[in-house]
Amino acid sequence: MTTTKDTTASGNGGDVRLTGIGKTYGSFTAVHPLDLTVPQGSFFALLGASGCGKTTTLRMIAGLEEPTSGTVHLGDQDVTALPPYKRPVNTVFQSYALFPHLDIFENVAFGLRRRGIRSVKKQVEEMLELVQLGEQARKKPHQLSGGQQQRVAVARALINHPKVLLLDEPLGALDLKLRRQMQLELKRIQTEVGITFVHVTHDQEEAMTMADTVAVMNAGRVEQLGSPTDLYENPRTTFVANFLGTSNFIEAEVDAKSGDEIVLKAGGGKLVLPRARTNAPTPTGGKVLVGVRPEKISLTHADDAGGIPEGRNRITGRIADSSFIGVSTQFVVDSPVCPDFEVYVQNIDRDTRLVPGAEVVLHWNPAHTFGLDAAQSLLAGTVGSAGAGTVEEEVAR
Amino acid sequence: MTFVNWLKRRLVVIAGLLTLAYLLLPNIVVTVFSFNQPKGRFNYEWQEFSTEAWQDPCGVSGLCGSLTLSLRIALWATLGATLLGTMIAFALVRYRFRARGAVNSLIFLPMAMPEVVMAASLLTLFLNMGARLGFWTILIAHIMFCLSFVVVAVKARVMSMDPRLEQAAQDLYAGPFQTFVRVTLPIAAPGIAAGALLAFALSFDDFIITNFNAGSTVTFPMFVWGSAQRGTPVQINVIGTAMFVIAVVLVLVAMAVGNRRDRRKAQKTHRSPL
Repeated sequence: MTTTKDTTASGNGGDVRLTGIGKTYGSFTAVHPLDLTVPQGSFFALLGASGCGKTTTLRMIAGLEEPTSGTVHLGDQDVTALPPYKRPVNTVFQSYALFPHLDIFENVAFGLRRRGIRSVKKQVEEMLELVQLGEQARKKPHQLSGGQQQRVAVARALINHPKVLLLDEPLGALDLKLRRQMQLELKRIQTEVGITFVHVTHDQEEAMTMADTVAVMNAGRVEQLGSPTDLYENPRTTFVANFLGTSNFIEAEVDAKSGDEIVLKAGGGKLVLPRARTNAPTPTGGKVLVGVRPEKISLTHADDAGGIPEGRNRITGRIADSSFIGVSTQFVVDSPVCPDFEVYVQNIDRDTRLVPGAEVVLHWNPAHTFGLDAAQSLLAGTVGSAGAGTVEEEVAR
Repeated sequence: MTFVNWLKRRLVVIAGLLTLAYLLLPNIVVTVFSFNQPKGRFNYEWQEFSTEAWQDPCGVSGLCGSLTLSLRIALWATLGATLLGTMIAFALVRYRFRARGAVNSLIFLPMAMPEVVMAASLLTLFLNMGARLGFWTILIAHIMFCLSFVVVAVKARVMSMDPRLEQAAQDLYAGPFQTFVRVTLPIAAPGIAAGALLAFALSFDDFIITNFNAGSTVTFPMFVWGSAQRGTPVQINVIGTAMFVIAVVLVLVAMAVGNRRDRRKAQKTHRSPL
């Protein structure tokens, strides 16, 4: 592994640079021309619903799909015209694609042997140790469990010391518990070998746990790119706000601007939005979407409204529904400015008066408010609208 | 009552044994009569035990010559049909071309066509082309009717193959040729082997088409047919029994090898943790 680390240190050999890369199938555009740079040594996730073009993008990096436009660079090398077997890139396929006629050892040794390396034994054994499968070397793939097969697929790719490891929904076939375990495992391996990982997934939690940088894709475009915290705290579109976690939106009107703050009118009340937390146009009198995450909100019974500190954004409403889920209680609040306001309250001091039907005040620190352009669908990226592209994805395959 | 219960519990086994007996009885008769010493020319009645025919299997003039010819034709026909059939199967599964649908159904026609009609038509064709009947006309005919069977066997296998396996091979530095040899072919091999075995069996004992297109050449099935008119030598049973025994032995050896490999592997994996 040390050799890999050395090359890592020397320059940008493992950068992936996509320039204007796009893919169309007949009249269907799977990927709109996009620019993307994945820095050397990072764990990068392409996140999106099925049909958003993330797998096509990955396959264009691997060389398994020919781009209609644009170029792929690995470091300083233009690999756009190279066939997959000449690219220093390896893939962990969805459903693993292990060779059924070869045992685990030979599966892992495959790439080394094809490059004419004779003494593979030591390397293969080391790699199998890394993924903790040393004792399974002589078994056939079908004799292993799903999680073990997944690790073989990783070992088979990593043994070649690729500049970039591509992972196409590698955890999709595993059950939830195993998936969590493998997420940590993959993260550990990535830290250990220092190779650039590009990970395709539709699971926002998976992307957020593992990746340093996440690109959220929607309908063949990169919607937003950033660190998981950045994407979660500062979503720039309703799609991102809804796809990563849950968001509440209030349609508001710009009332006044003072210093770093924008004062908004919503319903009868006023809300404060920090200027730094919106990139939407905010002319006085214009519309803005105000967003706030459910866990940032405090819930106080209307009788205690006087005790709420000054300077917080507040909204009144009536609890429509509550569900206790252990660590927190999730409330749905019916308010004049937003019909289904979601609020997650930690179960520290439970107020027994907070039951459906109770009049409440929702309040939060204005710093937790973000503003979005009002000219977009509130429902983009929610569960109902997510699977629209599924059919096209199937065609694309 | 107890007998009925006993019967109920073993009904499946009994039915199975009866079916097996039904299947194997003709083979047993062939074997038993290979040790007969018939009076006269026909080997249809049991007379007395003798190993005479086994000691001199080629004792009947023309028999072993026809056998060698049949084996030669069967081997070449298997080779030709397997090669062509495998390529057709891959083409049909992997590529989208204009006449694909038509080819897909046309390939089955030779299986559906009554053999005797096909035989007669082939003869017409050969005669019109001025071909000399013999080894080559037989071989061409055999490859033709074996093809469909090979295509069916190989196609089923290739269709069930995950295309991602070949993509994975390419991703792991295997060029198109290496991918084919190291991944595609080994995975398709059971289908190809099944097709080849089928082709060999079909070609070896084909009588109707061969009889029409052989000219003066005599294959083993034709020899048996011809001699049955005048009297059946015991040697025919000897050859039949030998073929049967060889097939059974081959199957047993294949099973034994497979079992031993599995067991050795299991031992290896058990030992390694220590």
